[in-house]
Amino acid sequence: MKIAVCVKHAVDESELKIDPSGKPQLDGAATKMGTFDKNAVEEALRVKAAAGGEATAITVGKAEAKKSLKEALAMGADRGVHVVVDPGALDPRRTSELLAAALTKTGPYDIIMCSEGSSDTYTGLVPPMLAERLVLPYIGYVRKLEVSASGVRAERSLEESLEMVESSIPLVVSVVSEINEPRYPTLIQIMQASKKPVQELGADQLGTPDSPPATTVLSMSAQSSNRKRIIIEGSPDEAAAKLLDALVKEGVIQA
Amino acid sequence: MSGEIWSLSESTSVASEVAAGAQALANSMQGFVAVIIDMKEIRDDVHGAKKRLLLKGGENASGPPEVVAESIFRAATKLMPSVILVGATRNGREVASRLAIKLRTGCLAEASRLSLEDGRLVADRSVYAGKVTARISSSLPCVSTVRAGSYSRTDDIPGETQEYEVGEIAAKTKTLSSSKKESGTVDLKSAKVIISAGRGVKKKEDLSMLEDLAKDMKGALGCSRPLSSDLGWLPEEHHIGLTGVNVKPDLYLALGISGQLQHIAGMKDSKVVAAVNTDKDAPIFQASDYGIVGDLYLLVPALRRALTARRGTR
Amino acid sequence: MPLFSAEHKTLLKTFHPAVHEEYAEILNSLAGFMEKELMPLSSKFDAGLEPIGPSRKRLLENGISQIPFPTTYGGLGLPFSVYASAIELLGTADASTALSVEIHNAVAEGIFRFGSEEQKSNLIPHLVTGKRLASFALTEPGSGSDARTVRTTAKPTKDGYVLNGTKTFITNAGEADLYMVFARSEKGPSCFLVDSPSPGLKFGTPMSKLGMRGSRTCEVTFENCHVPGRNLVGVEGEGIDYATQILHAARIIVAALNVGISRLAYDKALDYAKQRTAFGRPISEFQLTREKIADMKTGINAGRLLYYYASHLKEEGLDYSSEAAQAKVFATEMSLRVCDAAIQVFGGYGYTTDEVHRPWRDARLLTIGEGTSEVLRLLIASRELARSS
Repeated sequence: MKIAVCVKHAVDESELKIDPSGKPQLDGAATKMGTFDKNAVEEALRVKAAAGGEATAITVGKAEAKKSLKEALAMGADRGVHVVVDPGALDPRRTSELLAAALTKTGPYDIIMCSEGSSDTYTGLVPPMLAERLVLPYIGYVRKLEVSASGVRAERSLEESLEMVESSIPLVVSVVSEINEPRYPTLIQIMQASKKPVQELGADQLGTPDSPPATTVLSMSAQSSNRKRIIIEGSPDEAAAKLLDALVKEGVIQA
Repeated sequence: MSGEIWSLSESTSVASEVAAGAQALANSMQGFVAVIIDMKEIRDDVHGAKKRLLLKGGENASGPPEVVAESIFRAATKLMPSVILVGATRNGREVASRLAIKLRTGCLAEASRLSLEDGRLVADRSVYAGKVTARISSSLPCVSTVRAGSYSRTDDIPGETQEYEVGEIAAKTKTLSSSKKESGTVDLKSAKVIISAGRGVKKKEDLSMLEDLAKDMKGALGCSRPLSSDLGWLPEEHHIGLTGVNVKPDLYLALGISGQLQHIAGMKDSKVVAAVNTDKDAPIFQASDYGIVGDLYLLVPALRRALTARRGTR
Repeated sequence: MPLFSAEHKTLLKTFHPAVHEEYAEILNSLAGFMEKELMPLSSKFDAGLEPIGPSRKRLLENGISQIPFPTTYGGLGLPFSVYASAIELLGTADASTALSVEIHNAVAEGIFRFGSEEQKSNLIPHLVTGKRLASFALTEPGSGSDARTVRTTAKPTKDGYVLNGTKTFITNAGEADLYMVFARSEKGPSCFLVDSPSPGLKFGTPMSKLGMRGSRTCEVTFENCHVPGRNLVGVEGEGIDYATQILHAARIIVAALNVGISRLAYDKALDYAKQRTAFGRPISEFQLTREKIADMKTGINAGRLLYYYASHLKEEGLDYSSEAAQAKVFATEMSLRVCDAAIQVFGGYGYTTDEVHRPWRDARLLTIGEGTSEVLRLLIASRELARSS
């Protein structure tokens, strides 16, 4: 079984700094593999363990994105594919275009695994766009996956329901974080990851010259948080009474 | 382009919200008309826009997103809407994605505010787990997912209904079964008061204490992601956060919630936030107006007692 | 701030310009594990509500102890400073676990340096992956700084030795399955490896300590405890020399550990100072608070550089005993000043919140253990005088 898992080298939103004028400091911001992507890698490795085969980690991004590929390799992926390009912060169309081309060039794959969305600019659009471009079946928001040689059975987690869905292979799948607990690579695995092959591809090699993004980012500004941050002290009964007083004063509960 | 702004969601409540968003856009600019898209059957309880388009054939709105997308694609190829707005539910995102590729249009995502400017659709959305608002735009025609809770449903009832036959559509995947998640009748998006439970709650049974408080305060019960997704103590519809429900109550009371960014992203538009947590360093206190460093197991009964005392009953 | 911070990266870059990125990846990954799996449990470890064993095992399986050992024995073959840095991070995440791991590794280092080939290949691969846990048993009720006066006896028998005596203040005692014991044979103090369980090997009840409460410390008693001859480490009579060498290296690690504890206290105090208001302003605006911040940070940086420098000398094969002692004396005493200042910054909350005073309580051990500051000052002066003559 040939499994591809898509990872994004994302901005570490917890470390993102805002400059005094209210703009996020994206240049040189701390980065990490997208939080949910680890679950996708873990699921790819579990499928590989159960069904045999090979897992390829793929990413679209700047040179730095190699770090997330290395992490996936350290977790247990066999090889990496890096489409080197700056795809633009908020353009899933372009990302899916490049991913589809790279997957076609380095494939074919039986299962293309994605996370439900990136942890920095969550759109949730890339996996279904990928399926649409590759003309493959798609099962999104999977929380339990069973793979056999003949096909796949998946439990989808929607807002108000759970669905059991079946599909043939090959297909694209997106997984939710509840599906598994990602493993921690051992230090030995981290050191050995650098020996695993990583193929670099440029947009021109894929036949998708840099097209202008369909989405333009007009501005980015910090969301202000002007919370009062008042700590109410006292015994539980005292604090509860003071809190209610404050809430009544705010007009959010009735007197 | 027809100047039509189509709106849809498989959820009737979200469909009404998105319709209201479409109508607000249409009201803002000459030459645009908002249209509620219904699939296979008309949903009388979906309001918000002045026109309705019923797509016949295919599947209904809660069918496989693949089929929904293809249905809309066929109609859109003929009727050429300027904008297609899809509620940002899990299925909705798939519908919008597929449409954008099929129609070769741009796709904006998770819009909480929309406007039309210079022949482009402009959306405000939250990124970086709620730290930043990004303003993004695309030329028309385009598709956009709309974050639930961004618009309030209005009473605009569609005056005219058009119909369009999309024909038979096959899906590549097969849905074997669908079961409702354990659900309460909670509508967090319209709740004025939300009592929210986090990992500080030790046992599922203890949630009843919080439910009682919610009743006392005429509020709804919500939770952070671990309680719904990992522990399964509450249905997913109670999960407030970046990948859950976005709420804007007057009062958000966070009990035993640490306050990770992903959770804050779902409730930061609350008018007033109060929090109880045993950890004085918990990030929730940074995102709160009022905080009590204490044990919710003591504070919840204390709050109920204080409420009773205030109201003079007993 | 993430546990593995930009400052750590800069230090790696300074000391290992060619390969710092690889080392950064490793430490970053370890830090990720520590942040998620250890730090949240730290106060529970301190309160005795959770044992450190399970997460310590996972940490060892992850490979922290493998860092400084050669690949031939299952190690990663990385510089000592990378291991020291890992223990600094662990000291921040949970000091009790750091102490436990540091002692365990000291035994592995002892076996590596002084053991037979058979002992090394049998034991080190298991120790560095956490399959076995070790404990270092030197101190006795009547013998601490004056280690040469150990009274535990090792009498020769037909096939080995029989040990009698008592050790005290032993970390990991009762949990470990391998003990490095220093006992007096006919030829003088010698070093033995004792497996647990063994007949005649007994453990006392865990001691109630001021800090490092997650780590198990107790007495170890040997009552006619038989040890096979092959469990003698190195040469009979040279035991204390081995202990001395082991402790030189361990002191660098203890320095790193206490820098880690200081960092935890400092980070908390800094955050608090920015948020807490008094007289209508955040207390971080007051000069006397700023003085504390300045001194705390200077101390932490100085401590880091000292343990890095001592590590560097060790890596180069140079004599580092004085520098290791300097690092330990400075870092441990500094950590008490920093942790104390942090308590002061927190005011009443400092005195009444376990999480704020725990760093000080944890740090307080190490001006005493593994070489008291007093003895180490004598060591430093003696070395420096010898060097200057």
